[in-house]
Amino acid sequence: MKQNRREFLVKSAGALTMTALASQARHFGLISALAQTRKSRTEAFVPSDYRALVCIFLSGGNDGNNTIVPNHNDANVSNYAAYSAARATQGLALQQSALLPVAVPRIGGLTYGLHPGFGTVAGGVNPGLHPLWATGKLAAVTNIGTLVTPTTRAQYQARSVPLPFNLFSHNDQVNQHQTCRADAVTLTGWGGRISDKITVIDNPNRLVPTISSVGGGPLFTIGETTQPLALSPAPTPLSNVLSLTGYNNTPVTNARFDALNAGMNLDGQQELIAASNNYHRQALDISRSLNNNSEVTVTFPNNDLGNQLKQVARMIKTRAVLGVTRQIFFCTLGGFDTHTAQINNQLALFAQVSQGMRAFYDEMTAQGLGDKVTQFTMSDFSRTFNPGGSGVNVGSDHAWANHSFIVGDSVIGGDFYGVNTSNGTPFPTLVQNGPDDADSGTNARGRWIPTTAVDQYAATLAKWFGLPPADTAYVFPNLGNFATTDLGFMLP
Amino acid sequence: MNSRLSRFSLILLLISIFSFTGRAESDPDPDSPAPVLLGQRTRGTVLAVSGDGFLKGVPGRGETVFWPGPRNFMTLFVSNLDLLDGEGANSLRVYLYQKSGRTFELESAGLEPVEKNIFALRVRLADRDGFRGQPLADGESIIYLTWRGLVSNALKINLGREGGTIAVPDFLKNVPRAAGSADGRNLVGYRWSGDRTRFLEQATFGPSADADNRIRRIGLRTWLAEQFEAPSPAIPYPVIPQMPVTPPSNCSLTTNPVCYRDRYTMQPLQQWFFKEAFYGSDQLRQRTAWALGQIWVTSGVTVQQSSHLIAYHKILANRAFGNYRDLMADVTLNPAMGYYLDMVTSTKTNPNENYPREILQLFTIGLFRLNQDGTLQRDAQNNPVPTYDQSVVNNFSKVFTGWTYCNSAECPNAVPGIPNYVDPMKLIPENHDLTAKTLLQYPNAVNPTIPACADCTTPEQTAAYADASLNMALDNIFYHPNLPPFISRNLIQQLVTSDPSPAYVQRVADVFVNNGQNQRGDLKAVIRAILLDPEARGSVKTAPRYGKLREPVQLVTNLGRLFPARSWNGQTETDGGVASYMTKMGQTAFYPPTVFNYYPPEYIVPQTTLNAPEFQLLNTTSAIGRTNFLYTLIFEGLAPNATDSLRGTALDLGEAQSFAAADATGNQLLDYLNTKMMHGTLSAEHRAAVLTAVQAVAPTDPALRAKTAVYLLGASSQYQVQR
Repeated sequence: MKQNRREFLVKSAGALTMTALASQARHFGLISALAQTRKSRTEAFVPSDYRALVCIFLSGGNDGNNTIVPNHNDANVSNYAAYSAARATQGLALQQSALLPVAVPRIGGLTYGLHPGFGTVAGGVNPGLHPLWATGKLAAVTNIGTLVTPTTRAQYQARSVPLPFNLFSHNDQVNQHQTCRADAVTLTGWGGRISDKITVIDNPNRLVPTISSVGGGPLFTIGETTQPLALSPAPTPLSNVLSLTGYNNTPVTNARFDALNAGMNLDGQQELIAASNNYHRQALDISRSLNNNSEVTVTFPNNDLGNQLKQVARMIKTRAVLGVTRQIFFCTLGGFDTHTAQINNQLALFAQVSQGMRAFYDEMTAQGLGDKVTQFTMSDFSRTFNPGGSGVNVGSDHAWANHSFIVGDSVIGGDFYGVNTSNGTPFPTLVQNGPDDADSGTNARGRWIPTTAVDQYAATLAKWFGLPPADTAYVFPNLGNFATTDLGFMLP
Repeated sequence: MNSRLSRFSLILLLISIFSFTGRAESDPDPDSPAPVLLGQRTRGTVLAVSGDGFLKGVPGRGETVFWPGPRNFMTLFVSNLDLLDGEGANSLRVYLYQKSGRTFELESAGLEPVEKNIFALRVRLADRDGFRGQPLADGESIIYLTWRGLVSNALKINLGREGGTIAVPDFLKNVPRAAGSADGRNLVGYRWSGDRTRFLEQATFGPSADADNRIRRIGLRTWLAEQFEAPSPAIPYPVIPQMPVTPPSNCSLTTNPVCYRDRYTMQPLQQWFFKEAFYGSDQLRQRTAWALGQIWVTSGVTVQQSSHLIAYHKILANRAFGNYRDLMADVTLNPAMGYYLDMVTSTKTNPNENYPREILQLFTIGLFRLNQDGTLQRDAQNNPVPTYDQSVVNNFSKVFTGWTYCNSAECPNAVPGIPNYVDPMKLIPENHDLTAKTLLQYPNAVNPTIPACADCTTPEQTAAYADASLNMALDNIFYHPNLPPFISRNLIQQLVTSDPSPAYVQRVADVFVNNGQNQRGDLKAVIRAILLDPEARGSVKTAPRYGKLREPVQLVTNLGRLFPARSWNGQTETDGGVASYMTKMGQTAFYPPTVFNYYPPEYIVPQTTLNAPEFQLLNTTSAIGRTNFLYTLIFEGLAPNATDSLRGTALDLGEAQSFAAADATGNQLLDYLNTKMMHGTLSAEHRAAVLTAVQAVAPTDPALRAKTAVYLLGASSQYQVQR
């Protein structure tokens, strides 16, 4: 039971739903019909021929409170002194002189500061992300997090609105960021669901799935009908990512390959075997397509995230051969669970994030795709404003609302975005037991309640990417709970 | 009766021969009958009636159309069951396969005998979890059930309307029947060879010829008793000195990479582990310790030195046959865990929430209230019920304050200036929180609160209060009703099958609650219950969802025991330096990426409703990685090199090679491998495909023929799923 690639892709798309899928002939009919739909829609909504979203997931829960810091003395909103008062004693406050200033038109032009890791760093290969603020290619969505519906402090404490389940738990909050379903356990991610809707219409000639992940198959990338391509990072050449060793086109190895292939098409009577075979078949099939190398021209940092983004850049450079016009990528960097030793660890991690994302931005510019590829960050949650421990051990614990970054030439950068908090700005009031703290009394450690939902952030990106409006409810079923569905940080 | 007596006396004889002091027990036939779902006479449709009442007998004719929905029930009729005392509805799992290609699991709601050998099974016409929606009223669907890992016949059922022909899915065609027990020649020991192999896959790091022979002679129960007493470890733990946090100049990565590797990476632990897995005689203890290590996760990603995790691993191995409560206490005060989840820096002024959160969520009770059979409790709105909230985490945080490395002279392994990771953590009394705490609340809760300290005026009084509080808090967790089903299900997933029936979980959880001597948490009894359960045992399991994907570590250890692992040149034993060759498979031993382990127990395979944790590790990259690793291991061997392994590793395929040499057709080779690797389940199609590839190799090269066949079977999903 050998199958050609196209038949395979259809099967892989459905995993165990193969028997229910259309015949090959019907499938081709479907593609052409949908392609026509897309053509007219393309003229209406999407002015370009290629777009990609690149998610950089900061795994472990990045402390947003040390990512963007007030760098002003305005007494009407939380200023540097307020920040420092809460964090300096235990050694978690960043020096004001070290902050990288960014002007924020949204808050009357007040200056805020990025963590110094986002600037020039020792051993760096580029100036980092900070300069992109001034050039308008870097934006931040502030006080964002998982929400089912808009939630005030009183509502949170009274439990009078549906709340995200298992707040402050890593895996649940990771999943809710990746699924945009804070109200339910669900088995698909929003990247995967976008892919479900646009794959057939935008990538009818695809040789690889619309969505790829460097390292594993996280929930973000899983759709109802689509599965991600899992890539290993650079320095592995793209052509070696999925290459099978031990075959040299002799009769003996050809016979061995046929038997290997046959085994991967024998599902026995077993669903687990069928599920395992599904990955093996997908890998074998795609390995035939990933056989050329397009090397990047920009220098990437030789570290975990740098090598992931480098592999993504190579994939994008190969897009014409791979027959894709819309792609979603997922990268992840771990280590942000800084219960202790945060000062040194977060600096090293931010240096890696900033250097890698900047190299990727520069590479996209070099490929002529600066306005066609958008990078964005997410994380499990932010961390408590109130530090844990002190001195070299100082860290912070699991919290809620955080700040996210978006990078690219289609970003309307140089500003904060998101729904205002109770202080009339999109930046939280940095006071424990204050108006934005979830808890009261001795439990109040500065876990800010989000004013902007991940759903709004994701939907803004999806709209730019070209998700048809009719499919928004499929991808973001809770989006209707929020007044603003486009946060405005992307050009059309 | 006679044969049973003679078997028993021969076991006694064998006991004296092997000077074994345990008590011998006989083993029953492991094979359960295959359940039969009663059908109507016509067109292969199921015999069923709607409504939620039970009938007095089996109706002559059933209804033809049923409506799916959470309030709708129907009654099916099942025969050919051989139920244990207390084995009820939750032992039967009813599946509905629809035209969408989706499989739904209907909730079994009640079971009653109606006639001789026939039971009425009441089911709710809705998927229990509904993660992938609910069954549709779209006409003809397929219904079948499983019991103890065996699938029934598949029948048709009309939902909403008649018609709309559905094809029987591949996984229900040509279901192999359970093998039965034909061989009556052996009067002692354990005669079911397929079940022996399956048992060794579950209870050890892989079947070896020696272990198989031993079980054939003494049987499963006696083998278990023997393993419970086996000396451990078989291979001594590496002795690695504790080092300063900053590598000294004579042991840095640049000045002395071998020193750095041995002391500042997990390499010695990895090497020891693989040697112990390949060669050790205390297999059950180490297999259990590995399973516990997948629950109580620490990782070389964060923990710095091999000496630290060796001390931690010793706790897991030491407590593998002990009491779960002692394991909880030992791990809580272990410095590697203390460092990994930050208890070493948690003080009353800055209580850290990391360890308290994870001990509750991952190591003991989980996030949601469970029934004793592991299924979720639901509230009136059908939502899961949380076991605790943030304030409970905060309160446990306060209990766990004040302990840190013991660097005083009273701790034998303390080295001046170096944090002590070998002895348990020690309390600094002034850092312990003295306020009142409110802990987990549950019916008849043990220690739901801890009062504030009334008389903590001296360090001694504070220390006594802290120790008492710690024990009260651990008891509060230990006696939570979630703990037995949560841990039992997780251990079953580790050893036997990814998605056990609720009845199986309940049988094991009952033993967890009470081992028969009114002891809760006896892991020996729990392991025994898991491995001897009728859902674990049997020569062949036919249920479409039975079994588990072998994680890379166990894929390697199983092959290394089936075909004894040797050094690369075959001259001696391997030094166990295997882990660094395995990275492309996505699992590096002792380096799980986070406290959530390599794979979470609740993982669902994308696009399916299959709960199969190890699939978290499988993707396009690691799938190719598995096949390529097997190519290297089998065809070339893992070549020695100065960094990873001085001896390298290869498999001894001598036996396979002799079968290849004896028969130019290759059939003997395939027969041998079918028994050895597949316990007789190799399909005719798969066998033919492999045989063709074997025959493409010249018969004058039996070594290459053997390698080809072992590689092709090993790389197949049919082998990589442990069934």
